[in-house]
Amino acid sequence: MHHENVVVVGGGIAGMKASLLLAHAGKHVYLVETLPIIGGKTIKNEESFPNLECSTCLVAPIQQEVLQNPNIETMTLSSVAGLEGEKGNFTVTIEKTARYVKIADCIGCGMCYEPCPVTASNEWEENLGERKAIFVPCAGSLPNVPMVDAERCLKLTGKEECAACVEACMFGAVNLEDKDETVQVEAGVVIVATGAGLFDASSLPKLGYGKYPGVYTPFEFERLFASNGPTNGELKLRKTEKEPSKIAIIHCVGRKERGYCSGVCCMYSFKFAHFLKKKLPEACVYNLHSDICVPDKTYQKFFDGVKEKHSEMLYSSSVDEVEVTGKVDGLKVAYNNERDQPGEIDADMVILATAIVPDHNAAGLAEVLGIDCDERGFFRTLDDDVSSVESSREGIYIAGTAEGPKDTQTAVIQAEAAVAKALAFLETCRPQAAEVAANSKG
Amino acid sequence: MNAKIGVYVCECGPNIGQSIDIPRVLEVIPASEGYGDAEIVAKGFGLLCSGDGKEYLQKEITENGYTHLIVAACSPRDHNSTFMGVCKAAGLNPYLYKIINIREHCGWVIHDKDKATDKAIQYIRAGISRVLYQSELFERQIEITPDVLVIGGGIAGIEAALSLAGPDRKVYLVEKSGKLGGKSARFTSLLPRQGRGAEALREKVEAVRQNENIQVFLETEVEGNIGFLGNFEVVLAGTGNGTKTDLRVGAIVVATGYRLSDPKSFPGYDYTDSDDVYGALEVEEMLSGEGIALRSGKEPASVALIHCVGRKEKGYCSRICCNYMMKIAGHFKKISAGTEVTEFFFDMCLPHKADQQFFDETADLGIDFKRVIEITLSGTSVTYTEIGGGKQEKTFDMVVLAPAMEPCEGTDSIAELLEIDLDERGFFKEAHQTTDAVATSIDGIFLAGASQGPRGISDAMAMAQALAGRIRAQLVPGGKITPEVKVSEILEAYCTGCQTCLEVCGYGAIYYDDQKGISVVNEAVCRGCGNCYGSCPSGALRTKHFTNSQLYREVTEALK
Repeated sequence: MHHENVVVVGGGIAGMKASLLLAHAGKHVYLVETLPIIGGKTIKNEESFPNLECSTCLVAPIQQEVLQNPNIETMTLSSVAGLEGEKGNFTVTIEKTARYVKIADCIGCGMCYEPCPVTASNEWEENLGERKAIFVPCAGSLPNVPMVDAERCLKLTGKEECAACVEACMFGAVNLEDKDETVQVEAGVVIVATGAGLFDASSLPKLGYGKYPGVYTPFEFERLFASNGPTNGELKLRKTEKEPSKIAIIHCVGRKERGYCSGVCCMYSFKFAHFLKKKLPEACVYNLHSDICVPDKTYQKFFDGVKEKHSEMLYSSSVDEVEVTGKVDGLKVAYNNERDQPGEIDADMVILATAIVPDHNAAGLAEVLGIDCDERGFFRTLDDDVSSVESSREGIYIAGTAEGPKDTQTAVIQAEAAVAKALAFLETCRPQAAEVAANSKG
Repeated sequence: MNAKIGVYVCECGPNIGQSIDIPRVLEVIPASEGYGDAEIVAKGFGLLCSGDGKEYLQKEITENGYTHLIVAACSPRDHNSTFMGVCKAAGLNPYLYKIINIREHCGWVIHDKDKATDKAIQYIRAGISRVLYQSELFERQIEITPDVLVIGGGIAGIEAALSLAGPDRKVYLVEKSGKLGGKSARFTSLLPRQGRGAEALREKVEAVRQNENIQVFLETEVEGNIGFLGNFEVVLAGTGNGTKTDLRVGAIVVATGYRLSDPKSFPGYDYTDSDDVYGALEVEEMLSGEGIALRSGKEPASVALIHCVGRKEKGYCSRICCNYMMKIAGHFKKISAGTEVTEFFFDMCLPHKADQQFFDETADLGIDFKRVIEITLSGTSVTYTEIGGGKQEKTFDMVVLAPAMEPCEGTDSIAELLEIDLDERGFFKEAHQTTDAVATSIDGIFLAGASQGPRGISDAMAMAQALAGRIRAQLVPGGKITPEVKVSEILEAYCTGCQTCLEVCGYGAIYYDDQKGISVVNEAVCRGCGNCYGSCPSGALRTKHFTNSQLYREVTEALK
């Protein structure tokens, strides 16, 4: 029954909300996520703007509901590798990478990590922390089931006959014989909610990312600040291990190169200022900004509060003119001020508010699905002045930041709009009573 | 029949097995006193949430004929619903069961095994005390109508109607004015690409007219509303002819839109109706009508466009003004390339991926963009301070203002009628800013478009589609809904009719019965939050599954 199934690609907030709504409407959902966990980018944040709610508290119930809903089949470590057929009758090929841990048997007790002799850098933690070869990305991961990194595991790489994790597991859940597999599922429609990435800050050498340890990307800062992050929320700078005292947040990094405003950076930059002053009341925080973009009825108030209490706002005519120089523990940020005169501030921490860019695999997925990307590399939607969820191919819908930069509210609205379009279309696929009667006679 | 309580302790592998002395629990619990004639059976099991565990538990319930069940295991967040399902499958009412969290609350936080075990025993005893006072509760199903009332015939309301209407679902579209289309119908072209925008809107209005499943009520307002998700009873009143129409609908969509605020109400905007100062909507109408002309009938040679009028006073950015001002500027240049067009802006708000490109293209038309930090208007004379510069003054032939969007007139009376909240700015308040902007605090009442906050056409339409998805999932034609079981109830004999409970109910679930002089809970609307229970001064209210006797027994036993 093709028309009762939907494939949702991407397990972030947009993909999860779309899946839940489809499941509530009685559809069977295959939720395909490349990472070992669902939750997307939102769960990297300690708190979400503008209400500064705990992000985990906001998202974990949604993750739980997705994992517990009998109408949703969550496929982690999986990606879409092929699509055949047409709207109403797609056959989707999904490649599942071996997890080496049986989800049904694992209870998430974590006894397997300790004995693992391998230590590796934790990519999910923006490489600010370490993990084992068998690991969950962070505390509170959902599903709370570890995976084995086949490229690091001593046994799987053939380096040693190690079975430490297998022996530590009391439920026989670790299975180092697990294999990658390819499955095919049938679906009436596909919803693409694969999210987005961030502009590579190191491509602008003047900003010092990668050169000075005190220069951070937004997600590095989020994980540094997060209470479930690698430092348990202690703000200690890379290398020096000191608390920062002067922090410069530079807006619009990559805006000119990408050709668009990302719509959310102002708000998260102000949120960072709030975080910093809350934890380090003595610190000086500067926001180096040009246009302030606060496009929701609630955002201006948040900005006004931060401006008053948490951060000095420095107008910088162009990020092109910003340059970060210095040494490990003492940076200087040069910029052009409102009179187009050179200005300079001292800082020991610099946070670059980098542009939202298409997911690194967007072009590849577009090819697999036979849909178009726009000139910026995001998935193109039809008539983007009139509607914003239908892709260039019928039966495939786009939601969330896969379509373009946006805040969580707009991403969720778009996800539910995509579901509405999908449900309306699937309704037309349902065999009409007359056809059913005719078929049964034939 | 005497109570027979089954207590099942899950080892949860090492999590409970190693941190709590389960054999001692199993020995102590059945020998506990203070439960009258109740018989207590206690058993342990490796992993109750596993397939084997669930099968085992179901068999145990059936074979032993338990009247009540306790599962001592993990957090209810993890497996409460799992074990409720097991109870149902075994024929035991799931409200006669309770999960006790001896993992997070005991084993994981107390490192001394003896103390953790003591606490686990205490908790289990408290659970037994409570469960004996729990009552069977039964889910009910309520018939629904899938039909929908849409209030507001602008673009958001039209899109909602078109997204929902079908052979199995009628939509009643109510519009206060005499025609459909709302403000967007007055626009010369729609953003950002200005292509078929206006034309597409006309097509949509035509599609509504053609759709036999949409019934349009023009010059009509909503007058009465009672009911709940799936079953609202509304009364429509014709403003001209006074006709009344009673409707039964399953959901209500509020898409009443916005209006532009009056610039003269803000400090620094000093002009009269005879000055050539116009609001953005007036200019849109000129552009789509007879063309741009000053009050003298001449064409303007110089035009000033001023952004952010009233932003500071209102306390929010209206999101779409930067874009439409650029659009208007472009039109001036297209009409006459020689027109001198100056845009005074504070911050450019370009949050959509295509907006920057639109800005760049507009700037290429030769429009003078001035970033200002202060601006005042006297007639058509603009006094402004550019960022980093000094105060200057310049007089233009024509001034176009982008006043802040504000809620439409009548927004507060609709809020009162539907019992939904307004935010501090006067817009309708969404259920959750981040994750649920199309819902309200009342189940079945949804928001679309600028009635919830400033937004453009594309975003308003996305909201309309989103709520259509929600309604399609919630109100399936021919389907039923299952309301909350753990709701409040009022003991008539005790109620004094003080109506305190009406004030604290956030869901509009309690009404006052004039005839009887008491408050009444609408169980289909109640979410069981317990606010009324806590506020009732006469002890007439109670919330099922959280009664005083249940909580009292549990707490006193836990504190022994």
